[in-house]
Order: sequence, then C-alpha cells, then structure tokens
Amino acid sequence: MSTIEVAARTSEDHPPAPLNPARRRWTRFILPAYTLLLILYLASPIFMMFLYSFNDIPGDRQAAKFFGFTLDWWKNVFNIPGLPDAFRTSLEIAPVSAAFATVLGTLLGLALGRYRFRGLRPVDFVIFLAIAVPEIVLGASLLSMFVLAEFPPLGFITILLSHVGFSIAFVAVTVRARVQGLDRNLEDAAQDLFATPLAAFFKVTLPLIAPAILAGFLLAFVLSLDDFVITNFVAGQTPTFPLWVYGAQRIGIPPQVNVMGTLLFSAGILAAVVNVLAQRRRGRG
Amino acid sequence: MTEAIGAGDPPPSRLPERRTLGSRQRLTPYALLGPAGVYLFVFFLLPLALMLYTSLQSGGLLSGGFRFSWEVSNYADVLGQYQRQFVRSIQYSLIVTVVALLLAYPMTYWIAFYGGRFKSSLLLLILMPFFVSFVIRTIQWKFILGDNGPILGALKSIGLLPDEFRVLATPFAVVAGITYNFLPFTALPLYVALERIDKRLVEAAKDLYSSRWQAFRKVVWPLSIPGVFAAFLLTFVPATGDYVNADLLGGPGTTMIGNIIQQKFLLELDYPEASALSVILMLVMLVLASLYARILGTQDVARAAGAQV
Amino acid sequence: MSERERSMVDPAVMQEILRRRLTRRSVLRGAGVGVAGFSLASLLAACGGDGGGGNGNGNGNGNGDGETGFDIAEIYAGEPGDTLSFANWPFYLDQSKDADGNVFNPSLRQFERDSGISVEYRDVINDNAEFFGAIQPLLAGGDNPGWDIIVISNGRYFTALVTNDWVYPLDPDRRPNFDANAASWAKDPAHDPGNAHGMAWQSGITGIGVNRQMVNGPVTKMDDLANPDKVGTSSVGMLEGDMPDWVMINLGIDPQTSGPAEWREAAAWLQMQQDSGTVRAYYGNDYLSELQNGNLTAGMAWSGDVLYSEVWLGYDMEFVFPESGALLWIDNMLIPAGAQNPVGAAQLMDFYYTPEVATMVTEWVLYMSPVPQTQELIVQDAEAAEEDGFKGYANKLYQTAESEFLYPTDEFLARTSFGFTDWTDEAAEEWDSIFLPISQG
Repeated sequence: MSTIEVAARTSEDHPPAPLNPARRRWTRFILPAYTLLLILYLASPIFMMFLYSFNDIPGDRQAAKFFGFTLDWWKNVFNIPGLPDAFRTSLEIAPVSAAFATVLGTLLGLALGRYRFRGLRPVDFVIFLAIAVPEIVLGASLLSMFVLAEFPPLGFITILLSHVGFSIAFVAVTVRARVQGLDRNLEDAAQDLFATPLAAFFKVTLPLIAPAILAGFLLAFVLSLDDFVITNFVAGQTPTFPLWVYGAQRIGIPPQVNVMGTLLFSAGILAAVVNVLAQRRRGRG
Repeated sequence: MTEAIGAGDPPPSRLPERRTLGSRQRLTPYALLGPAGVYLFVFFLLPLALMLYTSLQSGGLLSGGFRFSWEVSNYADVLGQYQRQFVRSIQYSLIVTVVALLLAYPMTYWIAFYGGRFKSSLLLLILMPFFVSFVIRTIQWKFILGDNGPILGALKSIGLLPDEFRVLATPFAVVAGITYNFLPFTALPLYVALERIDKRLVEAAKDLYSSRWQAFRKVVWPLSIPGVFAAFLLTFVPATGDYVNADLLGGPGTTMIGNIIQQKFLLELDYPEASALSVILMLVMLVLASLYARILGTQDVARAAGAQV
Repeated sequence: MSERERSMVDPAVMQEILRRRLTRRSVLRGAGVGVAGFSLASLLAACGGDGGGGNGNGNGNGNGDGETGFDIAEIYAGEPGDTLSFANWPFYLDQSKDADGNVFNPSLRQFERDSGISVEYRDVINDNAEFFGAIQPLLAGGDNPGWDIIVISNGRYFTALVTNDWVYPLDPDRRPNFDANAASWAKDPAHDPGNAHGMAWQSGITGIGVNRQMVNGPVTKMDDLANPDKVGTSSVGMLEGDMPDWVMINLGIDPQTSGPAEWREAAAWLQMQQDSGTVRAYYGNDYLSELQNGNLTAGMAWSGDVLYSEVWLGYDMEFVFPESGALLWIDNMLIPAGAQNPVGAAQLMDFYYTPEVATMVTEWVLYMSPVPQTQELIVQDAEAAEEDGFKGYANKLYQTAESEFLYPTDEFLARTSFGFTDWTDEAAEEWDSIFLPISQG
C-alpha cells in the first residue's frame, strides 16, 4: 500500500484546508517575479556588453564613457589580430569536449547511481576529488604532466584533453543524482517486457535520465567555453576566447570582444527558442 | 502512515536501491565506468600524484632545478606563511555558497515545480549569460562597479554617496563576483534534484497539510537535500580555489589562497611550495566535505526517496 | 660613455658574471637534472639511481661555441622562413588605421613588404615574471615556445633566460643597422655583454603617473603615494615588478649594491604604504587602463605609457620624475630557443635599427629609442607636418623630440638607476621572501 493511496484515503475524511483566494493570488507572483529578477541580474553584464558593442570610441579599446552609436565594430568584427582565431578555437573545443565528457560521464553516473559493486567507494571518492580539486591545482598538475611527458605539445589537444577531464565528473554527478531517484519498478517492468537489459536501458532508462544527460551536456559545454584557469595553464601559446580576453582586458578590450560576446549570447537565445518550439511540438507537459 | 515522507526503512518487499547482481551482470558496472575510469586515471589521478611528488622536492629554478628530497619542510613553510589567505578563502567561499544557495533555491524550486513546458527553456535562460565568457562578464562588472562608472558615478554626482566610496578592491566585490560566477553551479544540481521529486507527493502533502509552506518543509525540502549537498559541494569547493575574481575585482587585502598558488606556480616558479599549498588545499576540502556528508547523512534520504513511490 | 655607464661594464664584474654562468651550466649538465626537475633522469635519481647524464634542459648540444652550447652557424643557417611571430608589450609599436578602419602596424607592414615575411604581432606581454612563467615550461621541455621574438626587460628574468640557454645567441654578423646606428647605452650593456643575446627595443623610466584633476595638490615624490590626504584611499597603483628597486632608489639606496638589509628597508616602506590605505592593487602593464578610467588617482607608471595617454589620447595625466630618483630599464628583443624562424627574427630585429623605422616607432610609443638619429628625424617630420598645415600634430612631434624622457641629458640620466643585477637563486629566494608577502596580503 503506497503512501499516496493512504494519503488519498485520508483526504476523503478531512476536507482540504480552506484557501484564501485574495492572498493566494498575490503570493503566487512572488516566486516568478523573483526568478525574473534573478535572471535579469544574471544577464545585466550582458546588456552592458551589448550596449557597448555600439560605443563609438575614438581609439580601438573599450572606454568607460559612452560616446555615441556606431556599427563599425559590427562591420569589422574580425579585424583584431588574434581574436577571431581565439574565438574559433573556443567554439571548436567546447562541443567536442562536452560530447566526450557527456558520454563518459553518463556511463559513470549510471554505474555509480545504480549498482553496488566492489570499488564503488573508491570511484565515488575519485569523482568527489575531481570536483573537489580546485581548478588551479588541476591545471598546474596537468601542465607538469604534459611537460614531463613532452607529449602532446601544449596547445589545442592539451586543452581538449584537460577540458574533458574536468567535465566528466560534473556530468557524472548530475546524472547520478537523477539515476538515484529513479523508480526501480519502471525498470523491472521494462526488463520483463524487453528481451535484453540493453533494450530496456535504451527504451526506458535513457529517456528517464535524458534531462540529466542534457543538463550534464550543457554544463560540460559551458564549462569548456568558459574555462579560464585550467586552460591558462595548459594552453601553451594557443589562446582561447577567455584567455585572449583576459590578456586584452589589461589594457582595454577592443569593442569587437563585446560584439563576439553578443553573438555568443544570441546563439544561446536561438537555442532556447528552438528548444521551446521543439518542446511544444512534442507536446510535453 | 502519514509521517514525514522520506524517513524510515522501505518495506521488505521493495527492492534495494542498488542491485546485487547475477554473475554476468556483475561486470556491467565495471564496463560502464571503464572508459571514464581510465580517462580520469590518466588525466586526473596521475597529475595529482605528480603534484604530491613535486611537493616533496626542493631546489630552485635558476640553479640546478628541483630534486626529490622528501622535503616535508615545504609544508611547514607554507602553512606558517599563508594561514591568513587560507582562512580568508574559506570565509569568502562559505559566504558565497550560502548566498548562492539562498538565491538559487527559490528560483530552481519555482522552475522545477511550476515551470511546466518552459522548464528547459528557463534553465537555458539561467545558463545563457554563462555562454559568454566569465572573463567578459567580470570585466563588465568591473566596469559597472567602477569608482566613477555608470552606477557609482551617477550616485556620487547627485550626492547620495561620498566621493571616496568604492566597491571595487573590497572583499564585497570579490565575494559578489564569485557568487555571481558560481550561481549556475549551485542552480543546476538543485534543479536536477528538485525536478525529479514526484509532484504527486507534494499534492498529497497539500491535501494533508494546511499550507504550501508546510508541504515544502516536510516534503520538498528533505527530498531536495541531496541536491543541496551537491550544490554546496559544487560551489564551495571550487570557489575556495578561485583567484580570478580576487584578481580582477579585489585589492591587496583580498588575496585568496588561489592567488598565492597561481603566483607560486606561474610567477615564482616555485613548484615544490606551490604543490605543497595545493595538496593542503585539497586535504582541507576533503576534510570539510566529509564532515558535511557525515552530518547530513544524505545517503539514507536518497535511498528512501528512490524506493518510496 | 658617462661615469655611470663605464661602471656598468666593469671588467671585474663581468668576469664574475661569466664565471658564475659557466659553473651553473656545468651543474646542469653534470647533474643531469632538468631545470624544471622533470626529466626522466631526475626521476631515476629520486628512486636511488645515479643522476647520470641526460639532457640538462632540452637545449644546447654542446658543440660550437663553448660558452653557450649553441652553434650560431647552425641556428642561422639557410633562408628565413615565411612567417614570424613577435610577442611584445602593449602600446609598444606604432599603430594606425587604414582606409577600411582596420588597425595595423605601419612599420611591420613595411617589413613585410620588404622582406616577404609575414609577421604575427601580439601584445601579450604584461609583466616580465608573468610572461616568463608562461613560456618557461615550453622552453624547459624543449618545445616550440610559439614566438620568434620576445621582449624582456633587463633583470632577473633576462638573466634566467640567458643562463639556462633558453634564448639563442645573436649572430654579430647579421646586424649592420644595429652596429651603425645603436646608441652607446644599447651596445654592450652590463646585463648583456657584447649583445650576445639581445638587442634593446626601447628604454624608459619608471616614475609617477598622476591624474591631475583627481589629486589634492602636486604629487612629486614617493612619499606622496603613501599620503591618503593627497591621493585618496585605495587609489594608488604600484608596479609589482619594479617597486622593490624603485622604492630603494627613492630611499637613496643604489639597488645594484644592495643586499637583504636594504631590501628590508624598502619592504618596510611598502608595508607602511599599504597600511596607510592608499594602495589599490599591485599591477603589471594593466595599471594604465585603471589610471585612464580614474580608478587610480596616481601611481607608479612607465614614462611612455603616460606620455602617450597625455599627448595622443588627451587624458589629463602627467608623468612625474620623482624627486629622489627614477628606475631606468632597458627592454630587450630576444630569440627564444626553439624559435622556428631565427633567421627572420634576426632580420626583423636589425630592421628596427634603421633610423626611419625607429622613428616610426618612437613617434608613437614615446619611449627612449636606442637609435639617437630618431631625434633629428622626428624634428624633420614635425617640420614637414607644419608645412602641410597640421600644426597640432607638428607641435606634438616637437614636444616629443624635445622631451627629456625620450632624449635624456647626462644630468637626467644621473638621477636614474638600474635595478638590482646580481641575480642568483639564493638572492632571488631572499628577495621573494622579503617582497612577496607585501603584495600577497
């Protein structure tokens, strides 16, 4: 007898608590309003970035004053030496590293969340370590290792390898949290219906944990795109976008950086819109 | 029968959360974790071991290089010298984590429970600013919060603030910056945990209890604790080692242990002492997090929540 | 040569430096320990085996020149490559916008046209220590450092690069312009006898940059930077790399003869300054944008940066030569070991000693050029501009040609000093232990 049935039966005996309609209407808006405010706060530097991508500054480096509107920087986005290459490098590394990390991390999360096996504790511990180690420690130790092994040469490959390395654990933890809450009955039922555990996995488990996998992929993607600390140590002389911007901000970033940032952000909005449309079509509630 | 859901042992007829396996299936978990395990060994454990090794070296860059010599004095040296920065880092991260949790929880709660069709879109909305490099965002904050920038300049010119007032180069700016940058790492695990809580539990609770608040307190909150734990870990630990915010937004009195480690590695090239600092940092994190896990005992809660409905 | 310059090339001092270099190199070779400690040999040694031979630091094959272990003929054999990468400090090369609004470097473009080599120029160097730290792993591992030319100031990191064989020696036969046109201070400087490894890019002094409108009264001496009534709280920037030497100079100490006792005096002053609350942060080249946007009211600054901001960008800024002295430094072009195009690099380095090209650079960067003829040429440019009717532009050029910060008199130079030069590992360790805690809070 599940707790729900018990609860349902109880509710027949006791009528639901009386509601206060007026108060309810008002408090209903608190949380959504709060969420909206928080999202706005999160995005406020983005607005500044967008605004200042149009700043008509006399020199070629960002200034605090707003001089007026110009489309120059949008027209000449790729004119700053080194910036387009760094931008491209980041965009090439992020999806690849996120993909690898998601695959490896999902498998790992499944193993951790579902099975009891010898070595569970140590693996759990390693995952925890992978998250616990501050990025700077990981970056420096990776650098030492690459230098000692004298392979691969510091650059694109080492950045990619490092990004996958630190993303796996994040994906695994996200997936594991979801897996741990799964209803075993569903899986058992699936196993009764399908011939193999593998089919059961693909038809039942995978869709159930799909939101966590997606969340993990997004997390890994953003982590890679955004990463500065570890990349700073292992990139050699191959700048990624964050690295380039960090170096440039010392003397002032060129407005093209704001343009590119705006482009990245717009890509994100596009993804969100597409997502909304796709969900509507699927009729998911 | 109506005790707080999530507590107590599952009835014997229920399957345990983790399976004990038949002989062929016994290999499955190993197969699953194999690829990731190898990868993590090569690109995570090995470098860390190397760091431990380096921390016991001595010598200097300009004269003969470093030699392994069981130089435990490295640890004594750095512990003596950098206590203040260690403590400061932990203080800052604690504040950051608590604030981030407080900020993120109501938002993720609302999205998980009331987001409906828009759940993933809202999630994407939260993550979207982080599609833009955090360096750019932090620079924009540095600009926004500048002494005579858009906000402070305006307030100063109308006399609401004294001329010497500043936000940058203060601990507040650093903590605010770290909080801002780590918010998604707090929000995502919270969301994942909240989202998988069966909404029917909440409905049932609402039928049983008189207010949404009690339903929250007795049902949602306990079930979300694994998520809170994950969020705490994912925020507190990396935040302690952060150095970029202190670098861009801070001043001399806000130096964190991450700054020290970075300087020792990349500026002073004092690999042994830097490695010793890193090892210490790691150990402190381990101890703190294990304590946390023990006190909360999250394993039981997770198991029960999975088995109940 | 002035008295000062003569003392800088004291033969006895040179002997001492040479002797130490040889000793250190043989230690590297004999012990077989990689400088980063990460060679296989060192691991074996740790396990109890003998140090054994093995690579010292991945470079230097011990043939040819007995001093450096590099063979100049080998390095500079053949034709120059097609591309060249040049790392430099920001605001350190002439810049202009073409018709489409693209930013480019006129002098580089001329080089590219003349030589057929395309140059990738990046102003990524913000601080000597920082840049050194970034390329050191590559150099120590014998990897391609990613640059053919780098620019490093005289001092600790220059010394480290040279003593560890991490830079190629220069070929004395490939620099006719340098031989013909370089100033006497650029030839055979104390930190680089015979210009064996580097050629001066520019020289300059470290003084005080002041935002005139933002300070209460004139800022003329070092102690003003510790006076909150004059400069405000949390609004002074200090240059982390330069400050120990700079403070010593302003306390009346000669850094070149200083020792730990003097360093502690300087550290005490710096601590006092921090306690007074005036310091906002300790910077590399990034102080300039803070000074420009008003987050800093005053602070340590490099002459050319401030002059450029004042003259060409129109900021109400002033470069002040502190009452008690200023730090003099020379930035040097070096070719890191493992560079892909050393022949092209040598060509470019010498190209910048052509007077016309040096003038293009100096007119823009406003630092001390190693080519004295630039002064004359700037005046000529000013006259030409005046004739064309560009009065304002011409005046700026006249200002430039007459500035004692660019063309100093001997009297001016007498009030400047170089920084500490006697870098050994023990000295570095002591120095760090005294000065680092100040900026590490």
